[in-house]
Amino acid sequence: MNTKNLLKLCVIGSLGVATLGLTLAFTAPPAAAHGERSQEPFLRMRTAQWYDTRWSPSKTSVNDEAMLSGKMHIAEDWPRAVVRPNRTFINVGSPSSVFTRLSSKVNGIPMFTSGPMELGGDYEYVIRLRARLPGHHHIHPMLAVNGAGPIAGPGGWMDIQGNYKDFTNPVKLLVGGTIDTETAGLVAGLFWHILWGGLGFLWIAWFMIRPMFLIRARVLAQEGGDELLTDPADKVAGFVMLGTCFIIIAIGFFVTDSQYPYTVPLQAGAPLIKPTHLQSDLTMKVLAADYDVPGRALRMTLTVTNNGEVPLRIGEFTTAGIRFLNKVGVANNLDPNYPAEIMALDGLNMEDDSPILPGETKDIKLDSRDSLWEFQRLMDMVHDPEQRFGGLVMSWDDSGNRHINSIAGAIIPVFTRAQG
Amino acid sequence: MALFRTKEIIAASKLPPEGVKLSRMIDAIYFLPIAYFGVFATFHMHFDLLAGDWDFWIDWKDRQFWVTVTPIVEVMYPGAIMYYFWTFYRQPFGATLSITGLLVGKWITIILAWYWWANFPMNFVMPASMVSSALILDCTLLLTRSWMLTAIFGVWAFAMMFNPSNYPIFAYSKQPLVADGALLSLADYMGFTYVRTGTPEYIRIIEVGSLRTFGGHTVWISAFFSAFISMLMFTIWWQVGHFVGQSFFWATGKRGVKYRTNDVMIVGTDEYAQRHGTPNGIAPGASGRATLAEGKS
Repeated sequence: MNTKNLLKLCVIGSLGVATLGLTLAFTAPPAAAHGERSQEPFLRMRTAQWYDTRWSPSKTSVNDEAMLSGKMHIAEDWPRAVVRPNRTFINVGSPSSVFTRLSSKVNGIPMFTSGPMELGGDYEYVIRLRARLPGHHHIHPMLAVNGAGPIAGPGGWMDIQGNYKDFTNPVKLLVGGTIDTETAGLVAGLFWHILWGGLGFLWIAWFMIRPMFLIRARVLAQEGGDELLTDPADKVAGFVMLGTCFIIIAIGFFVTDSQYPYTVPLQAGAPLIKPTHLQSDLTMKVLAADYDVPGRALRMTLTVTNNGEVPLRIGEFTTAGIRFLNKVGVANNLDPNYPAEIMALDGLNMEDDSPILPGETKDIKLDSRDSLWEFQRLMDMVHDPEQRFGGLVMSWDDSGNRHINSIAGAIIPVFTRAQG
Repeated sequence: MALFRTKEIIAASKLPPEGVKLSRMIDAIYFLPIAYFGVFATFHMHFDLLAGDWDFWIDWKDRQFWVTVTPIVEVMYPGAIMYYFWTFYRQPFGATLSITGLLVGKWITIILAWYWWANFPMNFVMPASMVSSALILDCTLLLTRSWMLTAIFGVWAFAMMFNPSNYPIFAYSKQPLVADGALLSLADYMGFTYVRTGTPEYIRIIEVGSLRTFGGHTVWISAFFSAFISMLMFTIWWQVGHFVGQSFFWATGKRGVKYRTNDVMIVGTDEYAQRHGTPNGIAPGASGRATLAEGKS
C-alpha cells in the first residue's frame, strides 16, 4: 500500500469516527407522541369534546386485554371550517398497531365501520384492546371525521411488557375452526408470489442469456432484420408460457374455490348510533370571553341559571382533552390515573365560588389559567380563522351528582398585560 | 442444431468480436442497474400514487374497485415499456420486466416499511400479483407481433385474469366470522383489529356504485369494465412510449438543408457516408460548425 492510499484510508477513517462522534453527541430521541398539539385549537376545542377518558390497565403484558374508554360530546358549535360529522369512525391513535383492537362499541353499538354522529350528541365509547408490541406507548382515543381528518383525544401512556413473538390473535370462523390473524394466508401468499415471480424472472432470463440491446438494434435497422430476430425458439417459448399461465391460473382458482366454499364480500355498512344528551340542571350562556395571551388564561363570564332543586358548584372546565379543575372538581372527579401533563388541578378560578342556588340566576366569572394553554399550543387560538372557543363545564351537587354543560362563544384576545 | 439464432444475429450486426463483447457489457450495465431498477422505482411510485391503498391493505380488496382499478393502473407503465423494448429491440418482456420490477419494489416496502418499521403482519399488507397477466401480455405481443392485437386480446386477458390469478392468495380472507353480533369477512376484521391511526375505515371504497347490480356477478362485470379501460390505457401509454422513446437526429444534407432522420443506427457508418456523400454526417463546406445534433421531441 503506497502513501497516497494510506492517506485516503486515514481521511475516510477520520470522517467515519467524526460521524460516529457527532451521532453520539447529538442523540435523536424517539418521537413518542402523534403531533396532537399541532392540531389547530378550533379543531380540538369545538369538535369532539372528550371527557372521562380511561386507559385501563396502564400496564399489561403481551396478549393481555386492556380497555380504552370514555365519552365525547359532539359540539353544537361545530366550526364552519370543518366538514360536519356525517361519516365518522372512532379510532385509536397509537404508534402502529401496538394493541390489536378486539371490539369497539359506541353507546353500546359495535362500530366496525363508519357512521354518522349528531351535533350536540353525547357518545360513550368502549374499545377493547389486546397488547401486541412491548414498549411505552402514547395512546389516544381518536374521532376520524370524513373530510376533516382525525381529531385526537387526550393521550395517556400504556406500557406493554413481554415478547412480541408470543403474540397471537386467534379468531373463530363462522364455518368452524380458528385462525390467527398474524399468520393466516401468509404461506399461500408467499408461495404464489414466489411461483409467479419465478416464472416472470425465467421469462426475462430466457432473453437475457442472448444479446439484448445493441446487437439486436443494429440487426433490426437492417433490411430483413425483423425476420431474423423472430427466433422460432421464442415462438415455442411464447406458446409454452401462455399455456402454462392459463393452466396454473385455472388450477389455482378452482382448487382454491373448492377449498373455501363459503366466502362473503367485504362488509361496509354504516352503524346508526343513537346519541344521548348531556344532563344538567344548569343553563349557561357565554356573555363574554377573552383570552389573556401573556397570562395564559381563558376568562369568561357566564350567565348561569339553576333550574334544579339542589345547589350546584362549578368544579371543572375541560376543552381539547385538557382539564382545568378547582377544589370542587378535585374532590368529585379526580382520576389519579389521568395524565398529569394534561390536567391543571388548581387551574380553575372563580371570583364568586358560592353555590348556585335553586332558581338562582347569576353572572359568574370563570378563569381557567395555566401554562398548559401555551404548552398544549392552545394559545395558537389567536391565529384561528374563527375566534371562538368551546368546552364543557362540570358542576356537582353535595351528593356528588354531576351536571355537564356544553358552552361556546366568541373570544377576544388580549395581547398585553396593560390591555387586560 | 443450435437452439437460438444468436450466431446469425451477431453476424448480421456486423460488429467485431470486441464490439460484441462490449455490447454484452452494455447489456449488463444498462439492463440491471439502469433499466430494471429505474423501472421498478418509478413504476412503484406511479402505482402507489394511483392504486396504493388497494394493494396495501387486505380490507380494501373488494369485488368492484380493487378488480377495476388495479389492472387499469398496472397496464399503463408496461404499455410504454413494451413499446420501447419491442420497437427498438424486438424484446417481448416489457410487461414482465415492469411488473416483476413493481413487485420487487413492493416486497422491499413490505419487509422494510410495513413489517419491520410499522410492525404490521405481512399477510395484512400482502400485495396482489399480476406477473401471470404480464406474461400473457408479453406472449401475446411476441406471438401476434402486433401492438393492436396485443391491446385487444392481450390486455383483455391481462385484466380478466387478475381476479382468478389472485384468488388463491386472498380467498382465505373472505371467510366469514361473527364479531359482536355482526357478520364480517376475515379481511374486514383484520382491517379493524390492526389499528391504523391515519387510515380510518371510511376511506375504503367498498362496492360503491351500480356495477354490482347486474345479477350479483360483481367480480366479472368489474373485470370486463376494467378490461375495456385497460385496453384504452394500454393504447395511450403505448403512444406515450412512442412519444418519449423516439430517437432521431437532425442532419444536414448535401445542399445544406437540415432534415430529421430516424435512422439513428446508420449515422456515422460508411453506408451513411455513401448515401449522403458526407463522412460522418458532416456536410461539405460545413467545417467549423456542428451539423449533426441529437434531439428528441
